[in-house]
Amino acid sequence: MDAITTSVIEVAGLAKRFGTVTALENINISIRQGEFVAIMGPSGSGKTTLLNILSCLDTPTEGKYILDGIDSSSLTEQQRTVIRREKIGLVFQQFHLIPYLTALENIMLAQHYHSMPLKDEAMAALSRVGLDQRWNHLPSQLSGGEQQRVCIARALINEPAIVLADEPTGNLDERNEDLVMDLLKQLNREGRTIVLITHNPDLGLLTDRIIRLSHGHLEDVLP
Amino acid sequence: MFFRLLRQSFLAGRRRKVLAVVTVSLAAALITTLFDLSVDVGDKMAREMKSYGSNIHVVPKSEVVHAGVDGVGYNPLSGRDFLDEKSLVDIKEIFWRNNITGIAPFLKTTATIGPRGAVPVIGTYFNHPLPLPDDENYRTGVTLINGYWNVTGRWPRDDASDEALAGIAVAEERGLSVGSRVTLQGTAGAATVVITGILSTGTDEDGAIVAPLAIVQTITGLAGKVQSVEVAALTVPENELSRKAGRDKEALTPMEYDLWYCTAYVSTIAHQIEEAVVNVSARPVWQVASGQGVVIGKIQFLMLVVTIAAFLSAAVGVSSLMNTTITERAKEIGLMKALGAADWEIFLLFLSEATVIGLIGGLVGSAVGSGLSQLVGLTVFGSVVAIPWIGLPVVIVTAVFIALAGSIVPCRAIARLLPVEVLYGRH
Repeated sequence: MDAITTSVIEVAGLAKRFGTVTALENINISIRQGEFVAIMGPSGSGKTTLLNILSCLDTPTEGKYILDGIDSSSLTEQQRTVIRREKIGLVFQQFHLIPYLTALENIMLAQHYHSMPLKDEAMAALSRVGLDQRWNHLPSQLSGGEQQRVCIARALINEPAIVLADEPTGNLDERNEDLVMDLLKQLNREGRTIVLITHNPDLGLLTDRIIRLSHGHLEDVLP
Repeated sequence: MFFRLLRQSFLAGRRRKVLAVVTVSLAAALITTLFDLSVDVGDKMAREMKSYGSNIHVVPKSEVVHAGVDGVGYNPLSGRDFLDEKSLVDIKEIFWRNNITGIAPFLKTTATIGPRGAVPVIGTYFNHPLPLPDDENYRTGVTLINGYWNVTGRWPRDDASDEALAGIAVAEERGLSVGSRVTLQGTAGAATVVITGILSTGTDEDGAIVAPLAIVQTITGLAGKVQSVEVAALTVPENELSRKAGRDKEALTPMEYDLWYCTAYVSTIAHQIEEAVVNVSARPVWQVASGQGVVIGKIQFLMLVVTIAAFLSAAVGVSSLMNTTITERAKEIGLMKALGAADWEIFLLFLSEATVIGLIGGLVGSAVGSGLSQLVGLTVFGSVVAIPWIGLPVVIVTAVFIALAGSIVPCRAIARLLPVEVLYGRH
């Protein structure tokens, strides 16, 4: 557990408002390197809004967000693009794979925008999620679970500081849910920092800590 | 990876891409047709205009100012300057010699035929051999340059010493018909000729006897001499440069002079004839030259307007298709941004797609347009249109510009598109 010493995410006094609607208010979180943390809460609690800010897809209205030592709360769109490219791996509930690219090409696309596409590395990432035999398949030729595993391989390909997974099992059946969660736990055991957004309490129990949100406020942190 | 992405992306949206290619192709085809015609129409028009007669009139320098009545010089032949018949070859030796399609020398006099007084007599070449250093079989004469001369009967032979045409007015007045025999009594001799045909031109020649040059030289005692030469030349339409040269050649800069000298303006060819033949004045027949220039200028302006209209309408069509494409692919664009793609990288993808559309559209349009221009050439001018190969790159580049111009405005939406909005379908 030596790796769990440095904070990779520091959020202090963070708020997000859309006009007169307050989505998040006074959020304070610290996530250390190598932690597996679940952000939980019912629909409308602000967990996806928080994830968007943590993934630098959005900016907070107030407060500070330090990601891997970089103050990311007031960056321009271009600067946030660079942070996403360098520091963050994203796993979406809807997978968001490019439909006309094969599984391998979808992974190589993330490499392309980061540095340069290397087929061997991309194949190794696919192999890591157990899909090396299906490298040449289009997303439409893969099951939901397989698509999500491609999505996870894509999130990992550039060795990001954190992996942010938004309801990664939300569109999967139980068997695939288990496959994906086993994969995430395995990655965490290998030292990855993973933030999981979910409303499923059973999945929350599989993580190191649960950060519970309610009506845009931090309700509690367990344990 | 970029080219793989481009290829896959292009193939994925085939239906819309085909529509965009068709839109660009149509414009490119129209532009190709107009380009081919605008380049070739000058030659086509010039050839058409040649049937209306020569466009350069060559006389001895001293004869530039002289009065003529009914086409016959008022000055008596004695005491006047003439050109040497031998110098006709020199006219075909100028820089633009290949543009000279015909030469006809003229020697005009009057001769008495019978008791009812004198009639004008014109000596000329009909289809006379004029051996040139590079073409020993060259033949020239009025049959080649005056397409509007109609002969009922047959043309006289140039080497015959007893054949001539009678102008339709003279024939009526003197009761001449094909086969009539008349004696032409000139100032230095007489010649008896048989009328081989009745000439109808609608101009001065209708009132004259037109005979081979040698006969008129004999009856005037002017062997080897001609009074004037009509030259038919293929020329390009007059423009501001040629008009400036026409006003004052000294006013041209050296570069303008070179450009003017190396362009087949009627004034350039006239100038080169004056350089080649000693002591002559060569003057463009401006009614023909300027008429040709005005018509071609108007056709080319019309073509320019249509080309601009085609460019704009195709660009608007492509813009509309690209707008729809970007809206449809918003999630894909958002994902690329979420993965760390800079705006310019996404612009590059879409503009590269537009470039491919432009290239394919340009190639297809060029092929279709070339076919269309042949159709127009055959229908309007009765001959094929020469394809200027410089048109191919010009049209392809224009087609790429059309596709890019149509894509630039829709691509601005890419910069405004936020990944959080399209991936989560909110703010």
